[in-house]
Amino acid sequence: MTSIIAENVTIDFPIYGGSHRSLRQTLFARTGGLIRQEGTGRQQRTIVRALDGLSFTLQNGDRLGLIGHNGAGKSTLLKVLAGVYKPDSGSLRIEGRVSPLFNSAPGLDPDDNGYENITTCGLFLGMTAEEINRKLPDIVAFCELGEYLDLPVRTYSNGMVARLGFAIATSIDPDILLLDEGLGAGDAAFAERAETRMKALIQRTRILVLASHSDALIKGMCNRAILLEKGSLIAIGPVDDILDRYHKRLTPAQVA
Amino acid sequence: MKAVLVKADYATARADIIDGLLAFRIWTRLGWQEVKRRYRRTVFGPFWATLSIGMFIGGMVFIWAPLFHADVRSYLPFLSAGLVAWTFATALITEGCGTYTAGVSLITQLNFPYTVLNFMVVWRNIIVFFHNVVIVVIVVIALQVPVSWKTLLLFPGIAIVAVNGAWMTVLFGMLSARFRDIPPFVGNLMQILMFITPVFWFASQLGGNSQVVVKYNFMYHLIEVMRAPMLGTAPSPISYAVTLGLAVIGWLVTFDIYARFRRRIPYWL
Repeated sequence: MTSIIAENVTIDFPIYGGSHRSLRQTLFARTGGLIRQEGTGRQQRTIVRALDGLSFTLQNGDRLGLIGHNGAGKSTLLKVLAGVYKPDSGSLRIEGRVSPLFNSAPGLDPDDNGYENITTCGLFLGMTAEEINRKLPDIVAFCELGEYLDLPVRTYSNGMVARLGFAIATSIDPDILLLDEGLGAGDAAFAERAETRMKALIQRTRILVLASHSDALIKGMCNRAILLEKGSLIAIGPVDDILDRYHKRLTPAQVA
Repeated sequence: MKAVLVKADYATARADIIDGLLAFRIWTRLGWQEVKRRYRRTVFGPFWATLSIGMFIGGMVFIWAPLFHADVRSYLPFLSAGLVAWTFATALITEGCGTYTAGVSLITQLNFPYTVLNFMVVWRNIIVFFHNVVIVVIVVIALQVPVSWKTLLLFPGIAIVAVNGAWMTVLFGMLSARFRDIPPFVGNLMQILMFITPVFWFASQLGGNSQVVVKYNFMYHLIEVMRAPMLGTAPSPISYAVTLGLAVIGWLVTFDIYARFRRRIPYWL
């Protein structure tokens, strides 16, 4: 049984390196949560509450879309589900193999050749050596890189690196799949095949959690949605209702 | 201090270390790749490190042997074995500082046993050591340094240093991730330690009153469990006692700290 049960999950980011510049960067990069100061004098530190008391339950067949502004906590929530950040308070129970597919192929090294990177990334994505060997022909066929796979990845074009990363990442068999804005995948001709492959991956996934700003993507892939605002869960429900609420909450100032 | 009160999660720390060890396929692979990668498109490859130590020894031996009133025939093996052992032990500490900061993209994207990164650093340095040891082999053959069964004690010596190095990479890796002043500080410290540890000079040359500098210097004992066998002698029981004790205490302390702060590592990066 694959499931995710989150109860009152809260995440605080202490901000290290007090310089104004790095503080500002960190805030923009990570969260739009509430900022507070703790302690006094030299002990004082800045803490950002990135997620504030989130509770929800996901089960087999749930395809959850995360909706919210920049810094609402979508990516942080994905990282919490991936096990990167452990909640400061509250509890999170996850059953099943979690596969986070964020930006790039994990462990990808530009100096290694394509084959070496397939193995390294595969291992980091949680595949066993046998699994990787079994899937190698499929990955090789899909990325269509041919003899380039014998060359160092730094000689690839950006599109080719994206193809390779995509081919590796989508070869996994996850119980729970975490996606941030979908995965980029090269030129137009490739995009169509990529979409088919992505759909197949989601088909064999039990639970999907997808963070995106694209209404179309959320509508196309999800059957439930969560609206996040400043780290709090505002609403959870059917995709159309939640998207509706999201757009109504945009004040004129925010639209401009 | 609020930090002291952080609750320890021993189960997670233990699981991390065990899973990390079991993932030897990943860290042996990454360690090799790293060595290969560093020297790609070079002629001598990993032997560049070896060559530079060799050149250093070749240049210095003629200054230092007379300076320390030593005969080149006995000083040269001593210096080569000592320097190669020193390079291994200190690399574990200085490179250990960068363990987690170098793994930032993995740590902030995936949930995996972080100790994989530590074992990778240790493994990589063992590989490099076996390149550097060529210098000692050449010197030993050229000067006919006696080789006996005691030479085989080098292997437990390597193991002891590696086990110590492993906890050091965890501890210094964490400290360096949180406090960015640690790596330059450790780098400086190692430079000073290099001169107050008997690598260039013999411990026996130090007067009776100054022997403390050697006796309580853990680096000396770490070097000694490797250097003595390379010179065909057995390390003293004291060196074994100190290094084994250091391994036990080091791991206990590191384990406790790791259990308390492992979960904070991604926040620090």
